[in-house]
Amino acid sequence: MTNVPQAAPLLAIDDLRVAYHRVAVALHGVTLRVMPQTIVALVGNNGAGKTTALRAISGFIGVDDARVIGGSIRFAGRRIENEPPHANTARGIVLVPERDKVFPNLTVAENLTVAATRRASSAERRRLDELVFALFPALAPLRARLAGLLSGGERQMLAFGSAIVCKPELLLVDELSLGLAPVVVDDLARRVRAIRRELGITVLLVEQNVGVALAIADYGYVIESGHVVLEGPAGELRGRPEIQQFYLGLATGNQVRRYRALRERPANGPGDRRQ
Amino acid sequence: MKDAGSSDLALFGTPARRIRLAVALVALLLLPFVASPFLLDLANQVLLAVIGALALMLLTGFAGLISLGTAGLLGAGAYTVGVLVREAAAAFWVTLPAAALLGAILGLVFGLPSLRLRGLYLAISTLGLHFVVVYLGGEYEAREALSTGVMIDPPSIGRFSLTSDIGWYFVLLAFAALALLISVNLKRSRTGRAWRALRERDVVAEALGIDVHRFKLLAFVVSATMTSVAGALFAYYRNFVSIDAFSLYLTVQYVAMIIIGGMGSIPGALLGAAFVMLFPYAIEAAAGFLPSRFGNVVFALDYAAFGVVMILFLLLEPAGLMGIWHRIRAAFAARRATSAPKSAPGSASGSAPGSAP
Amino acid sequence: MSPQLIANIVVLAAIYALVSAGYVLVYRVSHVLNLAHGELMMIGAYILVATAGLFSGNPILALLLAAVSGLVMGLVVYAVLMRWLTGEAVLAAVLVTIALGILLRGLSILIWTTQQFYPAAIFGWRNPPVHILPGVQISVASLAIVALTIIVYAALFLFLQFTAWGVRMRAAGQNPLLAEQRGIRLHAVYALAWGLSTFTASLAGMLLSLDSGVESTMATIGLKAFPAALVGGLDSLFGALVGALIVAAAEIAAIQFVNPLLSDVVPFLVLLLVLAVRPWGLFGSREQLDRV
Ligand SMILES: Nc1ncnc2c1ncn2[C@@H]1O[C@H](COP(=O)(O)OP(=O)(O)OP(=O)(O)O)[C@@H](O)[C@H]1O
Ligand SMILES: [Mg+2]
Repeated sequence: MTNVPQAAPLLAIDDLRVAYHRVAVALHGVTLRVMPQTIVALVGNNGAGKTTALRAISGFIGVDDARVIGGSIRFAGRRIENEPPHANTARGIVLVPERDKVFPNLTVAENLTVAATRRASSAERRRLDELVFALFPALAPLRARLAGLLSGGERQMLAFGSAIVCKPELLLVDELSLGLAPVVVDDLARRVRAIRRELGITVLLVEQNVGVALAIADYGYVIESGHVVLEGPAGELRGRPEIQQFYLGLATGNQVRRYRALRERPANGPGDRRQ
Repeated sequence: MKDAGSSDLALFGTPARRIRLAVALVALLLLPFVASPFLLDLANQVLLAVIGALALMLLTGFAGLISLGTAGLLGAGAYTVGVLVREAAAAFWVTLPAAALLGAILGLVFGLPSLRLRGLYLAISTLGLHFVVVYLGGEYEAREALSTGVMIDPPSIGRFSLTSDIGWYFVLLAFAALALLISVNLKRSRTGRAWRALRERDVVAEALGIDVHRFKLLAFVVSATMTSVAGALFAYYRNFVSIDAFSLYLTVQYVAMIIIGGMGSIPGALLGAAFVMLFPYAIEAAAGFLPSRFGNVVFALDYAAFGVVMILFLLLEPAGLMGIWHRIRAAFAARRATSAPKSAPGSASGSAPGSAP
Repeated sequence: MSPQLIANIVVLAAIYALVSAGYVLVYRVSHVLNLAHGELMMIGAYILVATAGLFSGNPILALLLAAVSGLVMGLVVYAVLMRWLTGEAVLAAVLVTIALGILLRGLSILIWTTQQFYPAAIFGWRNPPVHILPGVQISVASLAIVALTIIVYAALFLFLQFTAWGVRMRAAGQNPLLAEQRGIRLHAVYALAWGLSTFTASLAGMLLSLDSGVESTMATIGLKAFPAALVGGLDSLFGALVGALIVAAAEIAAIQFVNPLLSDVVPFLVLLLVLAVRPWGLFGSREQLDRV
């Protein structure tokens, strides 16, 4: 461990391995730390395993047919691998999913009501609802609208809102920017920082848009084919030439498409390493 | 020619399997000559059930489409025979193809909803089929004032007519073998692979370029035709048709066959058919030991025990009897694998220390 | 059509609606088609026979006890059976309900034989016909069924629409994964759906048995109510109500004007007709089809 942690991490993942259908291994030993009240970004290409990592933290259900087959996930010191999602939500780990993030046949208000918040009186529920509408004022006039009719941006706000009603300590966000206009993304990114600043919520953010992710995060991990290939403080990562080349679109040539290939070529030669 | 030879090989597998198959075949051919009349009747019932079970296995086990129409289709086949014999004194070479044709048509008509609907809705449309058949049969019986159903003469060619149970055994064995052959071939063919893709997921199948509609309908038509023919044979075998024989419980029995045998497995359908047909006799035997209060309602005991067995299989051994069989074989193989290195030097020296006498 | 005929249709529709509410609840929340629903309803009626025997002097207590047992029955069925199939293929769950149905049929005959029981007689109640309009009469128990159906549907509507747990049940039906991620225990929601489903089925069974007794063939009514649920669309309670009316009207008209033997088959004929034209039911949602 190069960077000595000042405090205990809120989330500590060690050598996490996840398989779908018992055979398809999607994560091959991912290790990462999320310090309290930080924003950590997890970036990588399509199919790198970002969603799988977040789903493993928040919990799989039977139909996923996925399992943590190795390593550990510790939240506030407690091991939580293969716990059901509702139990993790009750612990304070709440996910904003990549797809299907709201209940389309429920209204905006009902989407907030749905959350089974731990230890919340009805007064507190009302306060949480108000908090959501304060954070995302655009939602307020839409209370009675069916969530299925919302625009992509509004839907993302509602997904954040219904996650916040669950009183998260750790907010997992899968693809903040997917399918949204740059202005909307900037706006959402500001709100994520506000959520961390004002509510003290820790955020683990998955992004394909590395520029956006590293702009709002404190620390970043780059993941490829189920492996962490690079990590460091966000500012430092932004300056790395590999990142600029492969993820920020500043590439001059395209002989090498993946960071790992670049890194491994001198060490391992042309032969591919077997997992 | 070459193709047929290689698929033959695939069908019968290794030499060891071929020998086992030959032994089974000889046993099947000799069975009627040693079995008591009671056992022979039982064997015939099992063979009849095998046809229906294979048909349902094709549909549910392979293509993943639930049908609750087995009793209805059996009834349709049986009634085709009943009505044709009674109204037109038709011979079996008219009635059997007619039953097959009716089965195919019913399969097509009741399979059509499956093009727009998925899984469970199909179960319901076939349940509708059941009630339609039962209504029409009951209506026919009522109109013709047949209080005990329709009597049917045994099938005959010239002066020879099929009346002996041994004769029936070989006829039914031939039909069951035919059904088996059809099932095995379908499973191995492109059609079988398409069905498997269908069962996994329609959308995926479609993406793979499989004509979902065609293969669904095909599953339905083949299955319904086989079932209807089984019903026709049943009518001839029993010498009569009565609509009371085609209750929903009959459908449940066939569903049980494929569950207990093992979803998606052809040998499973055979095992399941045998199990389900023999089960009531086991219950009856067991009921002999129960207080007489239960003796009067053996059929209820049958229902309850049946429900329990089905539930146990579904919850604990979804792969059915075939799953158990594979597990046993795997356990034996594992034992042999672990004991082999130890016993090898022992057998070389003639007597291994600690080996059981 | 005579007013008496219309009254008969309304009563039959109320029975079908009360029974099909349970199909819709379980289906809507867990996407399982409960083919043991009719048998569970019949057991509800038999339980009333049992409690009536125990507390023949105190009908209210007997009725309450039977109703509560109806609720518990669903919770037990979920906890003992269906719970293990959560997340498995829907096929397996449906097959289990078929098995459960046959088990309950067998058990009920073993316990209560095939004899007919009249819980109303045990309470010493008569079931006189009442004239609701000139020339229109229906039994008191039938009136109670109509009233109860209205109450049950109103209560279910309010529950699903306005209470947090009601909204959660709807949410779990739409997206079980997201529901779990929002802190909802799927097992709790499913168990509740099963409990409410057998509760309403038991109420139907109890009232039917008060009207005309209970015997081992009562489960068939459950099967006939099923088309009503499907005609309306399996995910819509309002649809179940309308579906029940359509099916009941068709059935009574067929019995009256065509052939009494048609009674069992008409609901399914209506269903086949609807499936051919609007497979997702009159009020069901189209995307629901994909999940079945
Ligand atoms: N349900 C599943 N069954 C089998 N394999 C899966 C399943 N879900 C994901 N995978 C596989 O796991 C790997 C990681 O997928 P994952 O969704 O985690 O990637 P991702 O980094 O989130 O990609 P994207 O940026 O496109 O969202 C992929 O190879 C994918 O094919
Ligand atoms: Mg993803």
